[in-house]
Amino acid sequence: MRLRSRNIQNQGIPTASMADIAFLLIIFFMLTINFEVDKTQVGLPRTDLRFEIPKRSAYISVTRQGQIRVSAGDEVSVPVPGPGEVLSFAASVVATDPGRAFVLKADRDVPYQYVDRVIDALKQAQAEVIYLLSEQATVEEG
Amino acid sequence: MKFSRSRVDDEIPTASMADIAFLLIVYFMLTSTFAATRGLDFALPEEQEDTPLVDKEESVLIEIRPGGQLIVDGSPMPLDGVLDYLKPKLERNPAKPVIIRPDPNAEYGYMVAVFDELRQAPEKIGLEVRNVSIPTQREIDMFWY
Repeated sequence: MRLRSRNIQNQGIPTASMADIAFLLIIFFMLTINFEVDKTQVGLPRTDLRFEIPKRSAYISVTRQGQIRVSAGDEVSVPVPGPGEVLSFAASVVATDPGRAFVLKADRDVPYQYVDRVIDALKQAQAEVIYLLSEQATVEEG
Repeated sequence: MKFSRSRVDDEIPTASMADIAFLLIVYFMLTSTFAATRGLDFALPEEQEDTPLVDKEESVLIEIRPGGQLIVDGSPMPLDGVLDYLKPKLERNPAKPVIIRPDPNAEYGYMVAVFDELRQAPEKIGLEVRNVSIPTQREIDMFWY
């Protein structure tokens, strides 16, 4: 007669659901990933107010030295020689999609004359709205 | 004579699925960038032949000098004093035009700071600055008088 049945405990960590968790994480990353069309390194101006920029906006970046890169929002940005080319670029974007927003990603220390020419080109191309890309201002700065 | 039974496993091997999945996670974590996707919106006016011209005397002119010094209607003023200066004018005329005119050599960041301050008027003084314009140099050369 057996008095006690053997109580064998499984000592391994249960990993059956690990793949499910991993695939959930993959789906999360795939849905939230934002492919950056412009990787130009600039020191952005800091503002208290910031609004969400629509997806697939066209990007125009201006570095501290005044170098300009443009992207219609679907491809990686390319350098352009000057503001004259910004006008033709913006005109083609507006002709394709009149409501598309433009994002101005300019260095906070760039002399305003460079930005002025870009804004003027956008006005002439009849762009509707520009987003001035910015970082959140900290409390100390405010 | 004994024949050994050859059993074929009829299950799909899933042991390495977690490894593949975690490799994909690592890929997404490394390639996803926390890009700045926020900014200040600025609606551009339509260029029309019959656009009404604003008289300089009817508007508030904010000039921005290199280094960030502000000259408001001809007088130096700190950034946090601009809205207090505008408040009585906006109470009399809610559509009072405000013109931001940065010096060509002024840093762009100061223009954004002034625009940000004007956009915060509803929270700070309870009035909205509805009519903000930032004329370009070409427009100034064409229309400024």
